[in-house]
Amino acid sequence: MGIKVDKRVIKPVACSSTGGDPVVVESSDGKIVRIRPCNWTESYTEEELKDTFWEIDARGKKLKCPRKAMPPYYALAYKKKTYSKDRVMYPLKRVDWEPGGDPDKVNAQNRGKSGYERISWDEAIDILESEIRRMYDTYGPYGILAIGYDGHKESKCVHYGSGCQMQVLRMIGGYIREVRTPDSVEGFYWGGKHVWGTGAWDGLGLPEEYYNTMKDVSEHTEFLVMQAGDLETTANYASQFQSCMMKYWLDLGIEMVAVDPFGTYTAMAHDEITWIPILPNTDAALDFALINVWIKEGLYDKEYVDTHTIHFDKMADYVMGKDDGIEKTPEWASKITGIPEWTIKALARKWGTSATTIAHFCGAHIRGPYSFEPGRTEYYKLAMQGIGKPGVQMIHLFSWNVAEQVVPSVGGMLSFMYMGHADMQDIPGPTSLPRTAVHHAIMDGKYEWYGSPSIIMAPPEDQFIKRTYPCEEANGTEFHMIWSEKASNQGSWNGGFYLQDAYRNPKIEFFVSNHQWMQQDTIFADLILPVTTCLEEVDSIGSSQGGSLCFYGVQERACDVVGESKSDYEIAAELAKRFGIYEEYTKGLSVDEEIAAAYEESFIKDFISFDELKKRQYFIPPVNPDWKDIPAGMREFYEDPESHPLHTPSGKIEFWSEALAEHFPDDKERTPMARWTIGGSKEDGFAHDESQWGEKAKTYPLLLNTSPGRWRIHVQNDDICWLREIQTCKIRGKDGYMYEPVWMCPELAAERGIQNGDIVKVFNGQGIVLGAARISERVLPNSIKMDKGAHPDPIAPHIDRGGCTNLISPPDPISKHCEGFVVTGYLVDVAKLEDAEMEQWKRDYPENFARTYDPASGSSRAGWIVKE
Amino acid sequence: MKTLLIDLDKCVGCYACQVGCKDEHCEQSWMPYAEAQPETGQFWMRVDERERGKRPHVKVTYIPTPCQHCADAPCMKVAKDGAVYRREDGLVIIDPEKAKGQKAIKDACPYHAIYWNDVLNIPQKCTGCAHLIDEGDTITHPRCYDNCVHGAISWGEESALDLADAERLHPEFGTSPKIWYKGLPKRFIAGRVYDPEEKEVVEGAVVTASGGGGSFTTKTNWIGDFWLRGLPDGDWTVSIEGQGKKKVLEVSTKQEDVGLGDVPLN
Repeated sequence: MGIKVDKRVIKPVACSSTGGDPVVVESSDGKIVRIRPCNWTESYTEEELKDTFWEIDARGKKLKCPRKAMPPYYALAYKKKTYSKDRVMYPLKRVDWEPGGDPDKVNAQNRGKSGYERISWDEAIDILESEIRRMYDTYGPYGILAIGYDGHKESKCVHYGSGCQMQVLRMIGGYIREVRTPDSVEGFYWGGKHVWGTGAWDGLGLPEEYYNTMKDVSEHTEFLVMQAGDLETTANYASQFQSCMMKYWLDLGIEMVAVDPFGTYTAMAHDEITWIPILPNTDAALDFALINVWIKEGLYDKEYVDTHTIHFDKMADYVMGKDDGIEKTPEWASKITGIPEWTIKALARKWGTSATTIAHFCGAHIRGPYSFEPGRTEYYKLAMQGIGKPGVQMIHLFSWNVAEQVVPSVGGMLSFMYMGHADMQDIPGPTSLPRTAVHHAIMDGKYEWYGSPSIIMAPPEDQFIKRTYPCEEANGTEFHMIWSEKASNQGSWNGGFYLQDAYRNPKIEFFVSNHQWMQQDTIFADLILPVTTCLEEVDSIGSSQGGSLCFYGVQERACDVVGESKSDYEIAAELAKRFGIYEEYTKGLSVDEEIAAAYEESFIKDFISFDELKKRQYFIPPVNPDWKDIPAGMREFYEDPESHPLHTPSGKIEFWSEALAEHFPDDKERTPMARWTIGGSKEDGFAHDESQWGEKAKTYPLLLNTSPGRWRIHVQNDDICWLREIQTCKIRGKDGYMYEPVWMCPELAAERGIQNGDIVKVFNGQGIVLGAARISERVLPNSIKMDKGAHPDPIAPHIDRGGCTNLISPPDPISKHCEGFVVTGYLVDVAKLEDAEMEQWKRDYPENFARTYDPASGSSRAGWIVKE
Repeated sequence: MKTLLIDLDKCVGCYACQVGCKDEHCEQSWMPYAEAQPETGQFWMRVDERERGKRPHVKVTYIPTPCQHCADAPCMKVAKDGAVYRREDGLVIIDPEKAKGQKAIKDACPYHAIYWNDVLNIPQKCTGCAHLIDEGDTITHPRCYDNCVHGAISWGEESALDLADAERLHPEFGTSPKIWYKGLPKRFIAGRVYDPEEKEVVEGAVVTASGGGGSFTTKTNWIGDFWLRGLPDGDWTVSIEGQGKKKVLEVSTKQEDVGLGDVPLN
C-alpha cells in the first residue's frame, strides 16, 4: 500500500552541539516519508538495556526511564524543514554585486533588497578564492571577519558548521573571529560569576556541580520556583524529557510557582502551578523584597550564611535601607513589579520555610538591560536558603541528565566523538570580536570592550581585561569581507536593524553566507552557498544533554542531498583545494575513514564493535552502577565548604565583590553588589534607560517581553508550515500574511482600540516591526509579549514585516563593562497599523511587496531568485 | 476493537499529535484509505486550544480532536454509494473514490473533523492510520499515538485501556463517539483572598460555591488562592469566610470560567 520505506536512519535533530533525543527518519527512494520518535529499544532488546535504564524512587513513587526518546517539537516536523520552500538549492550571486571591490559594483546599499541569480559551484568557488586573495593582498591577514559557531542550529560532528571556514582561513592566511557571547546566561555570566565564581563549564556562572540534581529534587524539594523562563519553550531544545520530569514532580506533590511576565506554557498547562505575573525585568526588586521578609522574620539559614558566604551584611544593609535610606519592603517592590504586596509576603514565607529549588530556563530577565542584577540576586536567594542542602538546588540547562552513564563525557558533550574541521570559538583569541559588537565595529571602525566574551572557558578575571578592535596585530586595518556559517545574527543578537545598516555599509565589499535557507542574514549576502541539512550527511552524532539518556551514534544519509548542497566542511575543503592545502585540511581522510578513526580513539570501543555500532546506529552507555552515590548538585560545598571551595577569590559565595570594587571603582551601573538599577540617560553615563521610570518611557511606555518562540529554536524553524499553523505561532492578518503574534492584555488592547487579529506595529527609536494582536490574560498591562526569532522580512530600512523583535532591541551592551546582549525587557509602544500607512509603504517600497510570499512557510526562495 | 484514550491531564500542548498526523498524511497518499492531505489547512488530528480564566488565575486547555469514529456516525448516514464505511475494527473510513463531490459528508460532522479538499473534490479525515495498522512495518499504530511522548494518548483494545473516569467528547451530539477522554475541562472559579488592612493573603478561608449545579467547597492555600474545579455551567453564590469575616459574590460559569483576581476580605 502506498509508499514502501526502504531506509531507516536513527539520529538526533536538535540544536547545535547538544545532539538531542533521536528520531527515526524513514525514507523511500531517497525521499523522507516520516520522522518519528525513536524508541530506545529500536535496535536493542529491553534485556540488553537493563543496565542502561535508570529508575528514581522518591516519596513512594517511581519514575522509570522512558523507553521512548522525546525529541523536541521541531525535530518531529523536520521533513518540512528539509524540504522547505526557502531551501537554497544551488549557489547564488546577488544580481547587482560584482567581485573586485569597486563600490559601484558592490552596491552595498541594496543588500536585503536585490535578488539573486543561479551560478555554478565552480563559479562560486572562483569568486570565493579570488575575493579571499584580494583581501589578503589589500588588507593583510585581518581583512576577513568569520562568523560561525551555531552550526545552523543543527547537530553535526564531521560537518559541523561552526568554524570550518575559520580553520581553512587560518591555514591560508588569517581572519578576525566573531565570538559567541554568553547569550543563554548573560545575567549569570556578568553578575553571578562575581558572586559565585567561574561555575559550570569553566565560565558560565551556573552551579558547577549538577549531577543528581533531578534525584535530589525528587526526594527532597518541597517548593520549586520557576523564575526566568519557561520549560516548554526554552528547556526542551534537545528533548521533551523535562516535561516528563515536571509531571513526576507534580505527582509527588511538589508545590510550584512560575514568576514570569508571561503566563508560561508550563504554568498554563498544569492546574497545580501558580502563576505570579511580574513586570518584565523587575525581578531584582522582587528578590530584594523577598530577602527583606527573610531578614525581618528570620526565614533564612543564618549558619550557612556565616560559614559559606562573605559580605552578607553589606547586602543586608542595602535591603534594610541603611545605605540609601530606602528599605526594600514588599510594599516598595509591589510598586515596581506589579505584584501585590500580600503575594510577595506569601511567596517569601513559603520559600523561607520550604526546601526550595530554583528551576532556571535561560529566559526573561537574564537577557535584559542590567541582567547582572537579577543574575546576582538569584544567587543571593540561593545562598540565604543554603544551596546544596537537600532539596535546595538550582536546576539549569546541564542538570537535567538524571543518571551518570559509564562512558565519561566532557561536561555533557557526549555527542562529540570527534570534531576536527572547525575552529572552535569558545576560547577567544586576540583577534576576536564579540558578536554583540559587529555592527559597532563596522559602523564606527573601532570598538572597545572588557572581558573575553566567550561563553565558556572564561574565568571572572577575564572580565577585567580591556580589548580593542581592530586588534593590535591588525595595525588599524578593518575587515572588509564577511564569511558567515551562521546566518542568524540580526535575529539572534542585539540591535538588528543597526546590524542591517552595517551590512549595507560600503566598507563591506564582499559578504558570503553558507546556509540551507534563504533567511536572516543570508538575504543580505552577495554570494550564497547552499548547505546540506544534518539529514543529508554521513556523520557521527549522539546526544549529550537534556534527555533521559545520552548516546553515541553513527549515521548514513537519511535522505538524498537536496539540490546542489554541500556541507560546510565540504565547502571549506573545496576552497582548500584552490590553495593547495586539501590534504592538510582533510587530514587525508574520507568522512567514513574519519568516523572510523574517531571511534578508535573513543571510549566506547570497549563496549561495542564498530561494525555493530554501524548496524545498530546508536549506543547508549550503561549507567554508572554507583550513580546514586554521587553527591547531589552543590551538596559537597554545602557539607564542607572549606574542602570544596567555589572559584571565587574567597572560595565562598560573595555578596559583595572586592574584585569588582578594585577593577571598576567608578562603575555606577555594575557596582560591587547587586542593586535595584534602572539606568538613565547616555549623557549621565548610562548604557540604558529602559525602565518605566525614566525619560524614554514617556515616549515608549511599554516593556517588551520576548522569549525564544515555543515553535522555533532560537531563530530557526520559523518556516516550518505545520508549526506555523499553531495559533500561538502565527496569526493570519486580514491581508493574508502570517504575522508574528503580539500578546497584549484586554485592558491595553481596549485602550489602543486594537481587536484580536489586527495588524499592529511595535516600535521604538530603532524602528518598526509588524505583528498581529493576540489579546490574552497571560500578559500584564504596561507590557506586551512578542517572541524572538521570527524571520526578518524587510519592507524598508528599519521597517520589518516578519516581526523579528531583535531588530528593535538596543544596539548597546548590557552595560559599559559588560559585553552581552539586551534582547528583552526594553521599551516599545504598540499601535494598530492603519491601512493608509501600509498603503503608503506599498507605494514607497513596491519591490519588497512584489516579492513572492508563501503564507504556509513565510519566506520563500522564489521571492529572491530572479534568474534561474 | 482498538481505540484512543486521550488524557488531558497529561497533555502539555506540544502539538506533536497534530504534527505527526500531518507528517504521515500531508502530500502522501495511503490509498485506498486516504488520498494525500494538502500541505496545510486540514487537521485530521486537531488540537483545540483554549485559554481560560482571568489574570493571574489562567489556565490553557488543549483538546486533541480527531474523528471520533462514531458508532452512529452522521457522515455515514449522509454518504451515498457507501462512500463512508466502517471497518471490522471499528474505524470509520471515507472512500476517496466514492466520496468525490459529496460535500454533505463534510457538513454532517458535528465535531468538524472532516475537511474538504478543493483540488481533489473530496471530503477527508482521520483514518485511524488504517494503512499502518494493516501493513505498517516498523510501527503498526496511529501516528498521533506514536508521536505523543507524554503518555497523554493511549491506543489499544478498549478492554485493555484504563477507562476509570473516562468520558466522551460532546456526548450530547448523540453520535456514540468511540474515542475516550479523561480530564475534559469543566468550569472553574478561582481567586486570591487577602486582608486589605493587614495586606496579607488569607490562608485557610473556606470558599463555597452554591447554585443549581450543587455545592462545592474548598479552602484557600498558602498564597490565599482557591480553585473550585469541576463545576457545571451555571449561576453561583460564592461565599468566602475566614478570620471572622465573610464575603459573598454572585458569579456565573454559563459562558466562561471565572477568575476573580485579588479578592479583599472585608
